[in-house]
Amino acid sequence: MSPGARPGIKDGGRAAALLLAAMAVTVFAAGLLPIGCARTAPGTKTEQVFRFRLREDPPTLDPALSTDNLSEAVILNLFRGLVEMDPETLLPRPAVAASWTISPDNLAYTFRLRDDVTFHNGRKVTAADAEYSFRRLLRKETNSPRRWILEPLAGAAEFTEGKSDSLPGIQVVDDRTVTLRLSKPFAPFLGLLTMTATALLPKEIYDDPAKAYLRAPVGCGPFRFSRWEQSNFIELLANDHFYGGRPALDRVVIRIIENHQSALQEYRAGGLDSLDEAPSPDTPEVYKELEPEIKKYPFIATGYIGFNLGLPPFKGNAALRKAFNYAVDKKYLWEVLMPGGDIPARGIIPPGIPGYDPDLPGYPCDPEKAKALLAEAGYPGGRGLPPVALWVNTSESNRRIAQQIQADLKKIGVNLAIREVDWGAYLKAVEGTKDTPGEAQMFRFAWNLDYPDADAILRAELHSSNIGPQGNYFRYKNPEFDRLVDEALRLTDPQARAELYRRAERIAVMDDAVWLFLNYMQSYTLFKPYVKGIVLTPLGEFRIPLERLRIEKDAA
Amino acid sequence: MASFITRRFLSLVPVLWVAATLVWLFMFVLPGDPARLIAGGQGLDPKVLESIRAEWGLDAPAPLQYLSYLGKLLRGDLGTSYVQRRPVALILWESFPPTLFLAVAAVLISSAGGLLLGALAALQRGRGLDTLVLFLALLGASTPVFWLGLMLMLLFASHLGWLPVLGYGMDGAVLPVIGIRLPEWDHLVLPAVTLSIVSLGATARLTRTSLLETGGAAYLTTASAKGASPWRVFAVHAMRNALLPVVTVIGLNFASLLGGAVATEYVFAWPGLGKTIVRAIALQDLPLVEGGVLFLTVVFVLVNLAVDLSYLGLDPRIHDHALGA
Repeated sequence: MSPGARPGIKDGGRAAALLLAAMAVTVFAAGLLPIGCARTAPGTKTEQVFRFRLREDPPTLDPALSTDNLSEAVILNLFRGLVEMDPETLLPRPAVAASWTISPDNLAYTFRLRDDVTFHNGRKVTAADAEYSFRRLLRKETNSPRRWILEPLAGAAEFTEGKSDSLPGIQVVDDRTVTLRLSKPFAPFLGLLTMTATALLPKEIYDDPAKAYLRAPVGCGPFRFSRWEQSNFIELLANDHFYGGRPALDRVVIRIIENHQSALQEYRAGGLDSLDEAPSPDTPEVYKELEPEIKKYPFIATGYIGFNLGLPPFKGNAALRKAFNYAVDKKYLWEVLMPGGDIPARGIIPPGIPGYDPDLPGYPCDPEKAKALLAEAGYPGGRGLPPVALWVNTSESNRRIAQQIQADLKKIGVNLAIREVDWGAYLKAVEGTKDTPGEAQMFRFAWNLDYPDADAILRAELHSSNIGPQGNYFRYKNPEFDRLVDEALRLTDPQARAELYRRAERIAVMDDAVWLFLNYMQSYTLFKPYVKGIVLTPLGEFRIPLERLRIEKDAA
Repeated sequence: MASFITRRFLSLVPVLWVAATLVWLFMFVLPGDPARLIAGGQGLDPKVLESIRAEWGLDAPAPLQYLSYLGKLLRGDLGTSYVQRRPVALILWESFPPTLFLAVAAVLISSAGGLLLGALAALQRGRGLDTLVLFLALLGASTPVFWLGLMLMLLFASHLGWLPVLGYGMDGAVLPVIGIRLPEWDHLVLPAVTLSIVSLGATARLTRTSLLETGGAAYLTTASAKGASPWRVFAVHAMRNALLPVVTVIGLNFASLLGGAVATEYVFAWPGLGKTIVRAIALQDLPLVEGGVLFLTVVFVLVNLAVDLSYLGLDPRIHDHALGA
């Protein structure tokens, strides 16, 4: 594309025009600068708007397909199920169903629906909508990753496999009554029904083969969908006919801002009323400025480093796993290295969940004990220990934590390598398959409880029936542990269940040391002082009920 | 000329085929199970994964997957995004306009600023202004966009409060018929300026060099001898002839801005194409990555074509030499 021979003189009018145009544009661009001053909209009436940030577009607004907290942040406000979770007590409470009864054999759940619930399209919600929505969740073609929620229903497997079109587990008794029948007692079932995947959907919208509902969801929640502009914002409007009363907020704007630093500036400038990532004490000025606006509260998730019990050197060597546990200073990690962050963990079940054990000893940092256990494991002073790698997915905080653990283990003579890889490669190395262990010997992970019950972490992560991608990446198998967790599902007395979970946890923690126990997580959320009615919840910042919020700015 | 354009379009076909194949291969060999990423979440039922594989044709042998992918492409079907479950073409259609507006604004600023500064530097050759321009050009070209964006944001938005911190705005005008929203103008300023800085420096340096090269040419002496004013000699005779290489660079800049504005889009939360593709890569949303790369390939080739054609306007003789039509 070289311009060839040097051009000669021709009429120069166009070139001059070009130059002039160029100058004009520069002047214009410079002139644009001060325009931004007057941005405040002329106040007609004080509209109540709440603006919060998501770091990226939610992957989906289809309740049956969502598994992540970004999607749930939106879905929760658009949809409702038969029951919902009380964000404070974490107990199931009425939603579309005004009341329910459970049969004495704990198999039949009969729900009585409210009479005043309508979808956003104006149609009344009936018991048939529950049947439709539950069948949709179970249907094979839906490919819902949350299908397991309804698998306890009688006949669910046959229905999903396509062997039968009838689903005896769901019976519509009349317009306002539906009975769910289980194939065997399952204590957390009611709690499972509070999950967003079981939201009630209008058939006339969700049977659309063109799937318009993906970008125009219709539910019966406190807010209705208004607009979604890719990577820009999602806008919700108050549902005037919400059965629980119209929300105080007129409008909710969810702004998509990936970069944390940028989002923080936007929050400071007043473009956001809440921000899910608070500044770290590492940046003292900003932290000090915003500290009064930071809310800290427990979050039901546990962080750990998993040992792969299917691979050497951790396979069949509990002493080695205990040595690693004693070697790492968890207090330093969460109080000095990552301050203002999480709480050092002693075990598996996080605080706030029934079964949490405040008396669990765990593994306080003790290098001498660690050295003794290392020798007992067959590697005195680390001699003879094969190379061990700790896998993390790429992130600044993962790197810092991994390096600290590396340094702590060095003190007892263990040389730890760090493998930092992208999420896809990381999952592959961690999960393995049902029959083959993944490649990672040690990996940092955190588990969010899908529902607030110890079952959601003990069974999901450590029961031998879940070995492989289903959650037991560690390939942990202890018949006594399995037995206790299974038995807890059959009981209904909360005290007795909690006791069984405490016993199971002690086995996995104190006897088997399945993980290197790191942290109980906490949420840190910024809220402007004028945001009132905040109900902090262990379910996380995106589960704070927006229908309870109101904006109380000083009247101007 | 028509046959020239036709040939250029035909040459797109092998380019696209190679691009499509390469992207497909890269994404295919990437570790990670797409079905696992489609399902998302933690702890999954292998049966669900199996039926997801069947739904998306991921259970077919690799050569078959490749062929069905090419077959769809031939029919103009870019596929469906794994994550969003919407047509890739639609997603690209939504995320391209914001990038286009941003790139156009950035190119306008960098061209205007670059030409102006370059011309000034050439006129003042060897003096203080020249040195200053050269220094600023170097500084601009070597400043990381990410850092520059944050600094501009801190100064003009956070500190002075003249401009919005970030975003595209919710209330820009909507173009009729195609239904695409324009950015709010004050929201456009900071990202456009940030994005323009690098190419502004390059344009300024090239304008200066090119002008100085033409500066000694005999036709300028001729023009002066004919009695043309120094201003006319500069603006009409020198500038026009110095423009050719500059136009090339501006054109290439524009093409690369369309795909390479990721850092700026990231800092200013601009809902653009670059960010969409980068996020798709992170999520291993294969169809979206493939569609995005193909789309950018087409855009790049088209912009190059436009640059070549613009030579015709600047120097008709190129018609005979380069196009040979």
